[in-house]
Amino acid sequence: MERLATAWAIFQGLLLEAIPFLLLGVLIAGLARWLVPQSAWVSRLPSNPLLAPITGALMGFALPACECGNVPVARRLLASGAPLGTGFGFLFAAPVLNPIVLASTWAAFPDQPWLLIARPAGAFLLAILLSLLLAQLPESQLLETALLSERRLSQPLRNLDLLQRGSGLIGTPLPANAAPRAQRPSPRDVLDQSSREFLDLLALLVLGCVIAAAVQTWLPRSWLLEIGGAPTASILALMVLAVVVSVCSSVDAFLALGFAAQVTPGALLAFLLLGPVVDLKLAGLFTVLMRPRAIAITAVAASLGVLLIGQWVNLWQL
Amino acid sequence: MTRGLLLILWGWMVLWSVLSGRLDLLLRGIFHSLVGASGLALLLAGVMVMIRNRRQRDVPRWPWLVSAVVAGLVLLMPPNPSFSDLANNRPQGLPEPPELAFVLPPEQRSLTEWVRLLRSQPDPDLVAGNPLNISGFVWSQPDGPPLIARLTVRCCLADATPSGLPVAWPADAEPKANQWLAIQGTMAVETRHGERIAVVVPTTITTIPRPKRPLEP
Repeated sequence: MERLATAWAIFQGLLLEAIPFLLLGVLIAGLARWLVPQSAWVSRLPSNPLLAPITGALMGFALPACECGNVPVARRLLASGAPLGTGFGFLFAAPVLNPIVLASTWAAFPDQPWLLIARPAGAFLLAILLSLLLAQLPESQLLETALLSERRLSQPLRNLDLLQRGSGLIGTPLPANAAPRAQRPSPRDVLDQSSREFLDLLALLVLGCVIAAAVQTWLPRSWLLEIGGAPTASILALMVLAVVVSVCSSVDAFLALGFAAQVTPGALLAFLLLGPVVDLKLAGLFTVLMRPRAIAITAVAASLGVLLIGQWVNLWQL
Repeated sequence: MTRGLLLILWGWMVLWSVLSGRLDLLLRGIFHSLVGASGLALLLAGVMVMIRNRRQRDVPRWPWLVSAVVAGLVLLMPPNPSFSDLANNRPQGLPEPPELAFVLPPEQRSLTEWVRLLRSQPDPDLVAGNPLNISGFVWSQPDGPPLIARLTVRCCLADATPSGLPVAWPADAEPKANQWLAIQGTMAVETRHGERIAVVVPTTITTIPRPKRPLEP
């Protein structure tokens, strides 16, 4: 019973610490949804293979959201005709490269300033690598069908023929879910969507906190030390944990606190880098953006990239 | 309606955690106002959703209902952790002190300040004979006599790290795990496991209630 009471207290501590950051992330995602539909500027973003993902990644500072909040924003960007690299650079980097996540990382690890540099730098690098890799696939094999149709509607006819565009003189009618381009959602719609999003994410946060509190309380410390002390095993273990726990990037640093003392620095960074790009919850969310093959490529490439970054950090820090 | 009610429930739970003082047991003080503000924001959002959608019925999703049960349980069941159990599952590694506390006279040093001092100056002879006046919980050790200890946090209970001092318990003392004690006495030097260490020699031991803010920064 004593253990259960301790786990219950740890759970409450994690949850109450994380809720303000989750709320902030959802509020900003709502604000971003309200701002982004005015898409005239979107098609003017750079399309250079390297500049595009860099621009997308840096947009996280202007449109900060956690990984769940930024999926609809990234979809809107791509549907509005943003270069692929920009859309994917934003999708993969913005969950980390934004003020809210950096603030929560700092709040959780004020005594580890290297993490405050390594986390955004690693996320930036990973986002560029993933964007460059995915850009090798043709759009038709990369983007989800409805998104592809919406995106083609926003592209000029000089880039596509009428059959590819799927509308016009001989095309099909507009897809039912294609939103009018220049329509800004009303504050009521934003409140509706944001409240739904908050409650959905809150349920996942509760699950993540339950797992973290249980691991902290019942997993014998000797096991944690044994796995956590081995450079490669600790990275792999925390990568699996990041995928399973599926907690938002705005609050994952607080969960990582629970394991920080027992694992290698590379494993800690791997947990903070992989979760925002690949986790069980995102596997569902990504289906509104990408085809299954592209999701699989993203998962494998991100895991390999994070493993390499983690190993490198262990070589440097241990 | 459902969404509005759920947001109000969560907002009230978060706000109640601040108002009831239970946050003192869970989080570092600097985060309390942030948590309180988010509770208020959730309450406000809940009321707005209720007013705007008073005629609309949401189809409740099961994860929302599960989270509502959790919010209810948090409201009904306040945290009551075993600090001793928690400390046994954590490595000892004190965060940097918020200020240079070791300049305080010995009898004004807290338990955590004593531990910091002994880590920075490991020679126990330097503090032998110093008077002390400390309070902490009894940290039951799996192999050895219990320590008097405190938990320090950087963020929340999840990263709590223990700092403990060995005590030369009087023969008639029966310290129980998690019991809070105030100890007055002196520092002495003892050899334990072949190592000379600083040990608290109590002159008076008083049982005290758990302090309002048991976690130290």
